[in-house]
Amino acid sequence: MNTTHRNRHRTAQAVLVGALALLLAATGCSSKAESGDKSDKAADGLRTGPGVGADTIRLGALTDLTGPYATLGKSIVQAQQMWADEVNADGGICDRKVEIVVKDHGYDVQKAVTAYADIAPDVVALPQVIGSPVVAALLDDIERDKMLTFPQAWAASLLGKDAIQVLGTTYDVDMIAAVDFLTRTKGLKKGDTIGHVYFEGDYGANALEGSQWAAGKAGLKVTGQKIKATDTDLSAQVSALRKEGVKAVLISAGPAQTASLVGVAASRGLKVPVVSSAPGFAPQLMKTPAAPALAAMLNIVSAAPAVSSDLPGVRRMVASYQKKYPKSPVDSGVLSGYNAAQLMGADLKKACEAGGLTREDVVEAHRAQTNADTGLGTPQNFSDVDRPASVETYVLKPDAKAVGGVVNAEDAHAAEGVEEYLSAQ
Amino acid sequence: MTGLLDNVLGGLALGAVYALVALGFVVIFKASGVLNFAHGSLLLFGGYLIAVLHDDLGFAGALALSVLTTAALAGALDRFLLQRGGQDAHSAHVQTIVTIGIDIVLLTDLARRIGGDLLSLGDPWGDAVTELGPVTVADSRLAAIVVSAVVIGGVFALFRFTSWGLSLRAAAEDLEAAALMGVRLGRVRAGAWCLAGALAALAAVFLAAFPAPGLERTTGQIALNAFPAAILGGLASPAGALAGSLVIGLTEALVVGYQSELHVLGEGFGDVAPYAVMLLVLLVRPTGLFGAKGAARV
Repeated sequence: MNTTHRNRHRTAQAVLVGALALLLAATGCSSKAESGDKSDKAADGLRTGPGVGADTIRLGALTDLTGPYATLGKSIVQAQQMWADEVNADGGICDRKVEIVVKDHGYDVQKAVTAYADIAPDVVALPQVIGSPVVAALLDDIERDKMLTFPQAWAASLLGKDAIQVLGTTYDVDMIAAVDFLTRTKGLKKGDTIGHVYFEGDYGANALEGSQWAAGKAGLKVTGQKIKATDTDLSAQVSALRKEGVKAVLISAGPAQTASLVGVAASRGLKVPVVSSAPGFAPQLMKTPAAPALAAMLNIVSAAPAVSSDLPGVRRMVASYQKKYPKSPVDSGVLSGYNAAQLMGADLKKACEAGGLTREDVVEAHRAQTNADTGLGTPQNFSDVDRPASVETYVLKPDAKAVGGVVNAEDAHAAEGVEEYLSAQ
Repeated sequence: MTGLLDNVLGGLALGAVYALVALGFVVIFKASGVLNFAHGSLLLFGGYLIAVLHDDLGFAGALALSVLTTAALAGALDRFLLQRGGQDAHSAHVQTIVTIGIDIVLLTDLARRIGGDLLSLGDPWGDAVTELGPVTVADSRLAAIVVSAVVIGGVFALFRFTSWGLSLRAAAEDLEAAALMGVRLGRVRAGAWCLAGALAALAAVFLAAFPAPGLERTTGQIALNAFPAAILGGLASPAGALAGSLVIGLTEALVVGYQSELHVLGEGFGDVAPYAVMLLVLLVRPTGLFGAKGAARV
């Protein structure tokens, strides 16, 4: 009897504590939201909004530092922090220091939504959001808040949104370029079959759309193999592809899958060219047993040049990055993160010159850029929300000795058929 | 025909590795009535140890140390965490849920350490392959078949010919009677957990070896594929685990290998196939292939 009494007492206490906590959380939220929404005039006559104070501009990053894309996340965070430090050492933007608020979501959509709600009132734009599912979940919020966002995802389904900017090419355009590369340089001809191994979800689906369209045009047949992120032994897929008699293989998956596919194919005597989407390669692969096979068979289609490329902008960035973070590998994430930050910086400068740094001003300044060139790849045109910002792709190939594990094989160019594909969309 | 042989051999090798994992599930279930959901992270733990140690100790040394450490960790988890909950059917359910918690803790820490890396375990087979007539098979897969056969044979002998094996079988039959006969249930249980831990560490080697590119943070999840294998065989039957694993391995390899012919079932059916087979078998034999005796305990 006595014990149940005590238990009841405890329950009452717990409920009280819980209610108090809720109350605190609720009031905390509302006070934040109030300070966020209005646009004011700063002392220097500039229109300002959320994230812009008298002497700071705050940007946000929703990244993955503990999930499957932790390596990519770390590279981008460090590259963008390096950019912010450089800009601040140079006097900042609009006489304000740039700060980046980084939130880790570990590739968990629920955590990402909470993190967005947490930082949204205090930042003007998001130069980094990792993960297609994360971006998909935040689409409505981002559009409502008019928060200029550069997702680190390249599915064509993200086009057509005013505040969201996919940088470079989309996955379908990359795969059209891949098929073009195969027919142009690897001797594929009408009637041949190519395999396409792809992840389930937006990434794979969009890539497959591109390869099927391009293959149809070139008279090739595509045989698809859908896989999951946890599939790391592609022996059975290789057997199936060999049975189909494929003359080449496209892969739109992660680095582990690329390594397995190429390694197994080589060991089974299926020595055909393999072309990967950009996220399918990481420099770490050149330390796996599959490295020789990768060097012999793999090419990568990418909107960004190799980190080892001799573009002056890229070389300067790589040198500063290696100096600042001597222990971190320089991978494609560093390049894309730094590029995104520079483009964001250019938008902010432009908006500042036009007299305002509200979110609407930043989006407007961004959409006015028709030839944004950071010197880190091809120029981009942000004026048409329905079109990829660029249609030019590089072809890269693995090289264990190069910085970032890849070198340029072909310079940037628009593949044949891309324009026709885009106008048919 | 070559395709078929290719797929069958690939499936057998996969099944042999699954058998190491499934046997772990079964040994633990037999001894303690607990379904160990932390098995995948124990496997990842074992693999991670080999990955960080093999540079200094060589592959064999790292493997030995990792097998011992993982066994000790599994035994300690049981002895100091799970056994506190008692030894009856009801507390076994609670302990099963505790293993989910253990899994989350272990996996979070290992995932943080591994990050996005692909770790090589330094195994001696590399990407070598052997031509067996018309088919090519990776040496690591042949090794998997041989090692699994030897180890599983050893475990069966352990069950049959040692006093620990006898105690384990007695405890699985009737806990109270076994205790009254002087079986030290706590030790027998902890021993079973140690054995399962050792098997998991060994399986990690083959799951990370050549056709796969190396150890990843998600390698442990592959252990989940061995789960339908253990269920399908009858959870309390080691022989069932072996048969179930071979069935699941073959199913996976064949379904993916003939994906284009099975197009009506939709793409990506290979992921679902093990579970579909499990359901089919359970419809016909609700206690699993060899699971008649264990039925009362589930």
